[in-house]
Order: sequence, then structure tokens, then C-alpha cells
Amino acid sequence: MLLGIDVGGTFTDAVLISGTSILAQAKAATTHGDLIQGMLTALDKVLNGVECHNIKRVSLSTTIVTNAVVEGKTDKVGLLLMAGPGMDISPLVPETPYLLDGYVDHRGREVVAPVKEQVEDACRRITHTDVFAVVGKFSVRNPIPEQAVAARVRQCARPVFLTLGAEVSGALNFWRRANSAYYNSAVWRHFGRFAESVRQALAVRGITAPVYVLKADGGTLPLEAARKYPVETVFTGPAASVLGIMALDAPEGEAVSLDIGGTTTDIGLWRNGLPLFVQRGAMINGYPTAVRSFWLQSVGIGGDSAVRRQTRGELTVGPDRLGPPMALGGQVPTVSDAMIVAGFASFGDRAKARAAMEVLAREEEEVGLVAREVLDVAAEKIAAAIGNMIAAQAAEPVERVEDIVFSKPISPGRVVGVGGAAEGLSPLVAEKLGIAASVPKGAMVANAVGAAVAQPTLMVTLRADTDKRYFTVAELGIHAPLEEKRYSLAEAESAAKKYLTERATKEGMSVGQAEMVYKEEFNLVRGFRTAGKIITCQMQIKPGVLTGVTAEGGETCRQTR
Amino acid sequence: MQANPLGLVFFPAFDWAISPTHPEREERLLYTRDQLVEEGLLDIPGIHEYKPRLATVRDVERVHLAVPDVSSLITDAHLISAGGAITAAEAVLKGEVQRAFALVRPPGHHAMRVVHGARGFCTINIEAIMIEYVRRHLGVGRVAIVDTDVHHGDGTQDIYYHDPDTLFISFHQDGRTLYPGSGFTQELGSPQALGTTINIPLPPGTTDEGLHYVLDELVLPVLDEFAPDIIINSAGQDNHYSDPLAGMAITAQGYARLADKLKADIAVLEGGYSIETALPYVNTGIILAMAGLDYSKVIEPDCKAAPMTRAANTAIIQSIVAEQKNMWLRRNELKSKALTQAGEYWERERNIYYDSSEIMEEQVEYLRLCPECQGFMTVKTQSNGQHSSYKSAFAAVIPRQPCRRCREQAKEAVETEKRRGGFQQYILQDRENDVVERFF
Repeated sequence: MLLGIDVGGTFTDAVLISGTSILAQAKAATTHGDLIQGMLTALDKVLNGVECHNIKRVSLSTTIVTNAVVEGKTDKVGLLLMAGPGMDISPLVPETPYLLDGYVDHRGREVVAPVKEQVEDACRRITHTDVFAVVGKFSVRNPIPEQAVAARVRQCARPVFLTLGAEVSGALNFWRRANSAYYNSAVWRHFGRFAESVRQALAVRGITAPVYVLKADGGTLPLEAARKYPVETVFTGPAASVLGIMALDAPEGEAVSLDIGGTTTDIGLWRNGLPLFVQRGAMINGYPTAVRSFWLQSVGIGGDSAVRRQTRGELTVGPDRLGPPMALGGQVPTVSDAMIVAGFASFGDRAKARAAMEVLAREEEEVGLVAREVLDVAAEKIAAAIGNMIAAQAAEPVERVEDIVFSKPISPGRVVGVGGAAEGLSPLVAEKLGIAASVPKGAMVANAVGAAVAQPTLMVTLRADTDKRYFTVAELGIHAPLEEKRYSLAEAESAAKKYLTERATKEGMSVGQAEMVYKEEFNLVRGFRTAGKIITCQMQIKPGVLTGVTAEGGETCRQTR
Repeated sequence: MQANPLGLVFFPAFDWAISPTHPEREERLLYTRDQLVEEGLLDIPGIHEYKPRLATVRDVERVHLAVPDVSSLITDAHLISAGGAITAAEAVLKGEVQRAFALVRPPGHHAMRVVHGARGFCTINIEAIMIEYVRRHLGVGRVAIVDTDVHHGDGTQDIYYHDPDTLFISFHQDGRTLYPGSGFTQELGSPQALGTTINIPLPPGTTDEGLHYVLDELVLPVLDEFAPDIIINSAGQDNHYSDPLAGMAITAQGYARLADKLKADIAVLEGGYSIETALPYVNTGIILAMAGLDYSKVIEPDCKAAPMTRAANTAIIQSIVAEQKNMWLRRNELKSKALTQAGEYWERERNIYYDSSEIMEEQVEYLRLCPECQGFMTVKTQSNGQHSSYKSAFAAVIPRQPCRRCREQAKEAVETEKRRGGFQQYILQDRENDVVERFF
């Protein structure tokens, strides 16, 4: 059995999955301030009568890191940067950094070595914290100077935790790596405490199964590994829902997914059966980071969105929430009230939902029609946002002639909806787009299902420079000579795969499906002569699910057109 | 830290090269891409990245007389780099950003009005295609182009040689020492556009100091007086001290300060072949300067290799600046003198060498010096190449806002030559109606 827990903004959901079906599901209020309380309530509900030794895996999707950042429960960080020449990022990072001499250029050459005395001096000055981050420009091309500075810092300042830039991401982007490394250290202590209480709570209940934590890219990390990379666990709620869709009703080819909750709808675009990722990385607290995350656009439309009849006659939906639906005792008409009247939902007091529509009705207008109009306006807003996303995706810059000449915008074939208000809204959105819709059974707990069945993801970036005769694997801190001058892309690929396996083993993961995410090969020409090649390949274990999941009742989806 | 809104069209064309080991090859903007991405420049609030559009053959024909036709001379990459320049200009003119930089390849400033092939790595003139596009579609009138490539922008000069509404200023390494061997101080434009072509040939070894003297004393005051609607920078980067194809001594700081002072509305990349040592830093500097951000830390790792200012050069530069300042002051007088001397028609006969395509073109231009409009012109052109057969064409060009007489005469000229025969094709470029007719 697989146990999945998703801590959301309002509710904490737990599911227990046996084989390919949902055995039990439970809901508890999220306990802000101390998330673990709500988690345990949901956990105990779902475990009612279950033999704990049958649980093979526990995975958590939690807002612990997101909340820590938002609520300012982060530590100060001793941030040491080797910025080299270029843009001054000092004013652009969360805390004033200590700038050190020493830098690596774009080919990975150490142009100026770090100065020992400078590092020691910085360590003497940093007295306000015991967590550090060391980040060098182009450290992904040569992580050695970063490691050298870190070694010095460990000797002088004896930090309890230190993050290296090249470890948080193998991709170029010094500014993002600096922000990622900063937040990784800043949330380390908070996440560690959380991980420890999770461990204890599970032990008390006799659950000995390995524990995983979800990441923003939809992958999981073993809890122990997550303690080293806590920043990766931001924004996992929306990622959990996406994984839930993969498990419940994975779209093939191009599609749109909607997670329609109480106040917002998270829209995702899918290509080749996988959700698209944010270019370059997620924003944390207004700072761009290198944290890989699904590309999800939030619109302010959900079941609880307030509906108003404006003075000029038109209906508006959201983006605000002014309490629960009238059917549940609220004061203001909501989308959910319209869904109840239109027959898409059946909770609460139907008479109160009708009263809500009457508030919005114009003279003599039938409440059923009003309800349809409300849902239509809401669906229109979502459809427009989808259109904008498709346009934005098509407008993303590319680097090759063939990508301009042959690229086509995404043309989704289906809308997959999950979340509380999906039944009512996603078929209408699909209708506007002229495509099919499906709402899988279990859509209400897609988030927890996603957490339960998510597989590990991992990435390595191998870059070989056959002219300078070296290669790097940034994430593993490797910078080593190339034996062979004649190194090919195929060799780089198989080496990358080897390092991916190595890294997975080190983090205690099984290697699922490895795939090449990116490859690049350039001939290096000097003086009209080919001097070598620069090869880059990025290999990942892609996001995926351990198993497809069906909810009780047999039929998995409801197709409308 | 918020940047001034800057549009960036970065298109490195990683799958396009003139030939595998040519300087204009796939790898050219690789290190620049690495530097820009590593800096995080594309993530700065205020810097907006745009995907280049594809220019159309019609956009190209608005500028060029292509022989035998546009499609057989270009690749998709050319339409993307021209389209990238248009994308950049549109972003500025529609008010989405304050300035824009089209960091695109292949380049274009050696491509002249008549095109038989590639010259100096250029086939179509991406700045001119952009300028004529925005004139046609976005109502732009007066334009100034400042060409800061180390090579004389002879293509752009040729296209605007007769156009008094387009100021073309080029500073470059002296044509006696470098391709294309033109761009001397006496090339000032044809009589009715005299003074709107300004060349500043600089001695090899010119440093930041010399460059900024030219800028402060000549370029900026002239721009100020010309008062263009938009300023375009043909932002070649081969004045850099490390460029393998030229001999100047400009640094990344020199280029960044130039961008800062020039405040071009749109910059378009041209040459620059020190792809590893110069381009990553020069481009970072230009982008920061155009976005109004601090560029003082953009310094090349080997900047000690930049040569020092030579006193002899300073004297040469001062005298050239003085000569062109004097010309600019007396331009109206010089113009009326030239007009009187030329009479109704101005004629020019030239041989044009296409180094990249190994072609020699013979060309005769006639321009009517019309008191009412920019005057129609005709071009007789024939070419023979190492790898291409004999090609010839007769073309007549109706200007953007022609008088009736010039319009009629241009059409008549084509008819007359058609009857007479002797050319493989006859082209009527009607810039008023934005159409090109070809007769065989």
C-alpha cells in the first residue's frame, strides 16, 4: 500500500492506495503554524483499521518550505559569491552577499583563483548565522573553486549547513543558482525540524516504510536527501495535482489540465504526455531560482469565487473569495452555487443555492439560466487564460532556424479536470476550446493520489570540452580530464546515464526511465581549423507515477464533447 | 533593481553557417549565449525577450533589387535575422519597450541595393529591411543609422546614398587597411542627399579614448541637429582589441559607454568575430547599458591586452573629426553646389566585388535630381562569378513619395529597355505602392 499526503492551503488530504485503486481517503483542516497536526489528523483518519506494516511507501507533498519563506521563518545565510566580471547581482539577491575575488570564465577556465585570506575574513565577519551558501559564476563549468572556498569556510566558520551553487543546478544562470543556494540554506533548519517530527510521528504509529517528499518538478526525494535540498520542495501542491492527473487519467500528446480548487484554477499545458516546465526555474518570494517546476498558470476562478451582477448588467466571477458558497451558509453567490443549481454538484442546501442565483437574476430570469451564465463566464475566463498560455509558449525564444520554420503552437486535444469544481467547469472550458473533456473519478483527491504514486526525478548535466580536454558533471561536483580527444555525443550520453545512476544510488533512489532532456554539440573552430567539440547533455529521470490509479466505481472518466 | 524596458531578440541561429569553418558559423554566439544566460540577464525585470518573426520576401524586395530573385539568394536564416530586427523595432515603436536590441545573425550591413550574392558575410541588409518596414507600416519618417562595426557599412551607405531623410554615420577602420576598402570622408551622399552620409575612417589601433572623442565631438552633435524619429545602431563588435579580422583597440567598456551615450532606439548586431574573448563581454555591456543598468563591472579577463592610445592616432582622429564637422556645418552650401554641378541627372558607374560569393558586378546608376521628390533612379547591373553564370538586369525605382513625372519616367525607362533588349530581366520597384514587377 502507498500512503500519500498533500498539505494544501485549506485542507490536508490523505489517500491510501492499494494496487491500482484508492482504498481510503481522508480530509482534515490544514493547521497553519504547525502543519504536522493537520497531517496527523488526516493520516489517522485514513489509517483507520489499516495494518501499518502493509504500507510500503509514504510520500508527502507539503507547503512547509513555501510557508517558511512566506512567513519569514528562514535563517539568515552567509552568502559568498564569486561574481567575476559582468552584471553586479549584489542588489538582486535576498541578502547582502560577500563578494570574493576569483572566477571561472565561460569555458570553465579558472581565470583568477579565490583568495584564502578573503574567505577567512568573510567568515570572521559573518557572525549572525551558521548556515552558508557559496556560489561562483560559471561554477557549473568548473566547480573546483566553489569547492575550495567551501572547504575553507567549513574550516573557519564551522557551519552547520552549506550549499554549493553547482549542486543546486547544473544549468547556467549564476543569479538563479545564487538564489536557489541561498534559500536552500535559509530553509534548511526549518525543514529539518519538520522532517524530524514527521519521522517521529510515523515511528509512533509503527510505520517503518521509507518516506519521500515531493518536489516542484513532480518528482520525489527520500526524506533524508530532501534535508540536503529542501528548496526543491517548494510549490509541491500544484505539482501533486499534476502527478495525480498522470495517475488517474494521463493525457497523451497535447492537452490542458485544470486543477479547479476553492479560489483558483491551476492550468497546465501538456506535450508528449508530459506537463511543460517553467523556463529556467521557479520564482521564490520574488526571486528567480533554478528550482525546476511545472509551468502552471493560476487564474482567480474556483468553486468559492464570488459572483456579482455589475451595474452595467454583466456578471463577473472572482478573482476574490468572500466566504463559502451560500449553499453552505455563505453570504455571497459563488460558482459552486451555480454548479449546484445547474446539476453539476450536489452538496449543501439546494434551496440556498437557488436563492444565490436569484440574487443574481435579472427580472423574471429563470435561476437555471443564471447558473448557466455564471458557469459560462467562469469558463470563458479559464479558456482565455489557456489561450494566453498557448500564445506565450509559442512566443518563447528559440535558438535554431528549424525551430522557427517548423514549430507549431500547442494544440490541445483534451481538457483533463481535477479538483472540487472540475465537474462543473472543465466540460464548459473544453466546449469553448472545441475539444473533449474528462474528469477522472478521484478528481477530488488527485493531489494526494499524485503524492502517493509520484516517482523520483533526478537530473545530471554533462558538459565536455574536447579542446580543453575536460568534462564536468556539475550536480556531482565532478571536473575531470577527458582521456579521449575524439569524444562523441553518443559517448557523452552514455557517460551522463552512468552518472545519473550513480547520483540516484547515492541519494537512495531507483533509476526509472532516463531520458535526454537537452543536447547540444558545437564544433570549435580556431583559425579555420576544427579544434574540438563542446558537447552538453542533460539527462533526467522524468516525472512519472509508480502506477495508474482508478477510483472506486469502475468507470474512470466521463467524456463530453 | 529595475531595468528600463528593453526588448531583446536573441537569435543565435545555432544551425546555420556560411561554411563549417567560416567565421560566420554555428558557434559564433555560443559563448555570448552562455554569458547572457549565466549572468541571468534574461531574468531581469524590464528585460523582455522576443522571438524573431520571419520577414517576408516582400519585406526584402521593398529594399533590394535581387538578381535573379530573392528566394534563390537567401536562406530561412536571413529571413529570421531580418525578421528579428523588425520584431525589435516593432516592440519599440508600439511602445512595449523603450529600446530594443536584435542580437541576431546572419548580419547585413554589407548588402547593397542590388544583390547578386553575399558580400562581407551579408546577403540582405537587415537594418534597411527593418527601416523600410517601419516606414511603410508604422509611419516612421526620419531615421539615423550609426554603424559601429569595424568595417565600413558600405551596403547601408549604398541603399541610403540618395535619401536625405536617412542619416548614415559610419566609423570604422580606415578602408585603406581593411575590407571593404571604402568609407572615406569624401563619400557624402549623392547631390540631393549630400551630408547625410558621414564616414569617419579611423586609424588602426584606435582606442576607447579616440572612439569617444569621435562620439562626443561629432556623432552626438550631428544626431542632435538631424533630429531623427529613431536612431538605429548597426552594432558590430569587431572594433574590439581581440578581433581576429581587424586591428582596433576598443574594449567592452568602450562599447558599453558608446551604447549608453548613443541611446539608440534599436540596436542590431552586425559583425564581431572574437567570439570567445570579446562578444560575451561586449554584448553583456551593451545590454546593461541599453537597459540603464550598471555596466562598470563588465571587464574582459584579458583586458590588459588592450593596446594603449598612440599620440599619432589622436592627431589623425582630431583632424578627421574637424574635417567632417566642417563639412556638416557647410552641408547646405556644398549640397547646392553639387546640385548645380550635376544638372538633371546624376550618374555613377561602379564595379562591386562580392567576396563571400566570389562575384564581380558591374553597375551603372542614373538618378534624376528632382526638385519635387527624391527622384526616380535606374540601375543597369550585370555580374559574373567564379561559381555562378552571367546575370543581368535593368531596374527602375519609383521613390516612396514620387512626383508624377518621376513615376511616369521610371515606368517608361523599363518599357524602353524592354523594347531595346539586352538584359535577362527588367524590374520595376514601385516603392510608393510597395510592389515589385519583374519582366523577362
